[in-house]
Amino acid sequence: MGRKPKKNESLPGSLDMLILRTLSRRDLHGYGIVQFIQQSSSNDLLIEEGSLYPALQRLELNGWIDGDWGVTSNNRRARIYKITAAGSKQLAVETRQYTRLTLAIARVMGTE
Amino acid sequence: MLLRRLRYWMASARSAESLREEMELHLAEKAAELQADGMTPDRARAEAHRRFGNAGLKREESRELWMTRFWSELSQDIRYGWRTIAANKALSALVVLSLALGIGANTAIYSLMESILMRSLPVADPESLVVLNWRSQPPQNANRQWVHVVHGLQGVFWPGDKGAMISGIFPYGAFETLRADNPAFSTIFGYVNGRSRNLTVRGQSITANSEFVTGEYFRGLAVSPAAGRMITAEDDRPGAPPVAVVSFAASQSRFGGPSSAIGQSILVDKVPVTVIGVAPPEFFGVDPAMAPDLYLPLRTNVLLDGAATERLFSDGNFYWLEMMGRLRPGITMAQAQAALAPRFHQWVAATATTDGERANLPALMLNPGAAGLGSLRREYSKPLYVLLAMVALILAITCANIANLLLARASARRREMAVRLSLGAGRLRVVRQLLTESVMLASLGGALGVLFAIWGVRSLTFLFSRGQENFTLHAELNWHVLGVTAALSVVCGLLFGLVPAIQSTRPDVMPALKNGRGGGARHRAQNVLVVAQIAISFLILVAAGLFVRTLENLHSVPLGYARENILLFSLNASQAGHRQSELPAFYADLRRRFESIPGISSATLCRSSIISSGRAGGAIQGAMKIGAVTIDGARTLGAGPRFFTTMQIPILAGREIDDRDQPGSTSVAVISERLARTYFGNDNPLGRRIALPDEKRELEIIGVSANLRSGSLKSNEGGNPMAVFVALSQFSADRVTYALRTAGDPLRYAGNVRELVREADSTLPVTNIVTQAAEIDRSINREIIFAKLCTGFALLALLMASVGLYGTMSYSVTRQFGEIGIRMALGAPRGAMVWMVLRRVLLLAAAGLAISVPAALIASRLVKSFLFQTQPNDPRTLALAGVVLLSAAILAGYAPARRASRIDPLVALRHD
Repeated sequence: MGRKPKKNESLPGSLDMLILRTLSRRDLHGYGIVQFIQQSSSNDLLIEEGSLYPALQRLELNGWIDGDWGVTSNNRRARIYKITAAGSKQLAVETRQYTRLTLAIARVMGTE
Repeated sequence: MLLRRLRYWMASARSAESLREEMELHLAEKAAELQADGMTPDRARAEAHRRFGNAGLKREESRELWMTRFWSELSQDIRYGWRTIAANKALSALVVLSLALGIGANTAIYSLMESILMRSLPVADPESLVVLNWRSQPPQNANRQWVHVVHGLQGVFWPGDKGAMISGIFPYGAFETLRADNPAFSTIFGYVNGRSRNLTVRGQSITANSEFVTGEYFRGLAVSPAAGRMITAEDDRPGAPPVAVVSFAASQSRFGGPSSAIGQSILVDKVPVTVIGVAPPEFFGVDPAMAPDLYLPLRTNVLLDGAATERLFSDGNFYWLEMMGRLRPGITMAQAQAALAPRFHQWVAATATTDGERANLPALMLNPGAAGLGSLRREYSKPLYVLLAMVALILAITCANIANLLLARASARRREMAVRLSLGAGRLRVVRQLLTESVMLASLGGALGVLFAIWGVRSLTFLFSRGQENFTLHAELNWHVLGVTAALSVVCGLLFGLVPAIQSTRPDVMPALKNGRGGGARHRAQNVLVVAQIAISFLILVAAGLFVRTLENLHSVPLGYARENILLFSLNASQAGHRQSELPAFYADLRRRFESIPGISSATLCRSSIISSGRAGGAIQGAMKIGAVTIDGARTLGAGPRFFTTMQIPILAGREIDDRDQPGSTSVAVISERLARTYFGNDNPLGRRIALPDEKRELEIIGVSANLRSGSLKSNEGGNPMAVFVALSQFSADRVTYALRTAGDPLRYAGNVRELVREADSTLPVTNIVTQAAEIDRSINREIIFAKLCTGFALLALLMASVGLYGTMSYSVTRQFGEIGIRMALGAPRGAMVWMVLRRVLLLAAAGLAISVPAALIASRLVKSFLFQTQPNDPRTLALAGVVLLSAAILAGYAPARRASRIDPLVALRHD
């Protein structure tokens, strides 16, 4: 009672990376990003959809993505996000770190 | 980076809006997708929301990114706080008002006290200044014993311990002796209050306060001029050209600025004087109660007051000059005392000529002079401490009240808090919200308190100033005090806001949610607070009662002369340049003119108003004799024609003083009945004679008047109705006081009076225009202040205690809502419910009284010296205070009691 529910994230910061990766393929609005992540993970990755928006704000504040008002495929007004140059660099850094981390974990687990 | 953040911050309102839009779009698309999968629209929307999670929290998390959380939450808290405050207007107003009054009253009283008691003179190194006083030997028997070496005096005495007399006036010879080769003082200087003078600047006459100072005065005080130069030893010698230093304020109001005052020729009582300098703006002389407009060299008094004044400088038995010294560096006051006391003793012993005079010689006594002279301090320091103690009690009540109200409010909001917590609000966040509200209330109260304090200082100064002519105390708001009191109240608000806040946000919100009612501990705290409030209120009520009784007693002192419908004012034609020989005719003529004003039934003149006849000194100094018998302790009052008619003092035998009694004719006197009885027994005193002490003349008794009270209402001497009235015209009087008997409000005639005086002499100012009633009240100003202030305080305390009681009872009725409902459903009559509540009220009041009555009995002894014909344990006052308090308590408890009796059992039982 009276406590905020804990965020259920297996790998902290992984959401940022996923968003950046998604946006590196094409510009999307928020809902599109969620759909893309879920579809491309064959629904294995379930994002708490609400968490996307604080994450987007955070990325924008850091200057890694840029949001602009545009129109979606079914003609609704939405904020379309695209990755910036700094964002691509950040994505490269995070991808490297992620790969190293998962490899290390896999080695420990003996599943390599 | 910073720029980006700033941009976000600026656009925060827009961002919040667009974020919401984005989220809504998300939800709509999700719902649409789910619907496409075959869900009903309603379920689809609900499922979309479920998957999205807590949208509000997410929005907040986002916002947190661009605004630092603190500020956004603070503004939210403040906005919410405003709403709560506005929603509970009555309660909020009570809290704010209590705080404001508590802070304001404390600050005002303390500021005044500080300016009277503790402020240093605005001069360099005030700590090294020393005031010279002397004290008489404590008398052997209980009687007050005169210091016989003092043959004449001009100044004041005040009582020291063990019946000794203390004074600060010395003969000029003592000053010269101490000035010559002084081992302890670097400078010693003298000064005399020069009283009010007729000052003419560029043809315009006003009355100005003057101070005679010796040549060392300004050097000793280390005061440098704002313009020109100060008075030096060169100016203060016989035959020096008359010069003056004017105060900064006077230079501005009368000369158009300090620099243009220099070199101006002015008339002081028709004597031409050159202005040589202007005192700095902050300098007010050596007595905070006086602020001279004009500083004149001491020797100038010979020019102003006539050649007879010359005697003052040579007479070793005439006491008139006040003195201060500046200690040499490294010399302590005790060392100075040790060095100077023998020198003074040696000098004063030489002035004593008889054994009687040698028996009780004055002894020199040094006092710190940093704060200047203490004429006000002597009169008001103890009263101010009493007032301060009362105000501190008020502050205690205030704090208790705030605590009580906040506790009650917290209890009432327990449920709200529980709801907020269960909806997922952070606990710290809720506590912070409550604290913000407390601080907001406290700040509002504090701000209002400042305004109240400013107003309070002004009106208090005004109240105190009524006692004195030309009262120029510079009381200012003391910001330190304001800070301390404000901090105290805010801390109190915080503390009592915090405790319930923490309690009501305890993790287990379920019980609160279920029954919505608080526990017992806070209830007890409220009871304790209420009892304390009642106890303190009773103390203040008793004090107020005692002071009001004192004032009543003073007002009912039989005067023996008319109090109402008399206008008094003073003229000093001598200062306006009229020759001594012309004065009686001039004054007599004016008197006749005043009498011709329509609405004036009679007019007279006297030496001073009857009430101040003690202060002003009689027309005759020394003892009079009837035959060989010395008249002991009679007052002499100088009176003009129609004095007894105007003052409505009955003449029992003979006639009153009238126009026949001229300067050249037989000197006459009217004596009071008591005097006649004491010295003539049953003989007829008419035609008998009274011998004057100094003069060759004798007074012929022409009438006997009824007894009257001359002099102060308080003193026992004033109660002595032995009086000798002499014809004013037959004795020299420079300054006279006129008394006019008027129809209706006396002050309405002030205009006519001024006009008539202007016609007679345009350079003669009319001073001291006052009604007889006000003049009498002036002599009991302290008692009036006490009665007024304490009544105010008592009302305030009573009000606060009632509010506290009302709050507690209201809360308790709300808490017992269900219980009362059940009782009534079971057949309890409505009257029983009223009684149930009132019984608790009475119990609380009784507990308060039980603590307070003994406390009041002890505490009231402390104010004994301020009471007049009233015992500190006056049972009537105690009973009255008790009755008032109980009535107020019942009144405060009645509204909640009535509410309890109106509870509809059905509603109460259904209520959760």
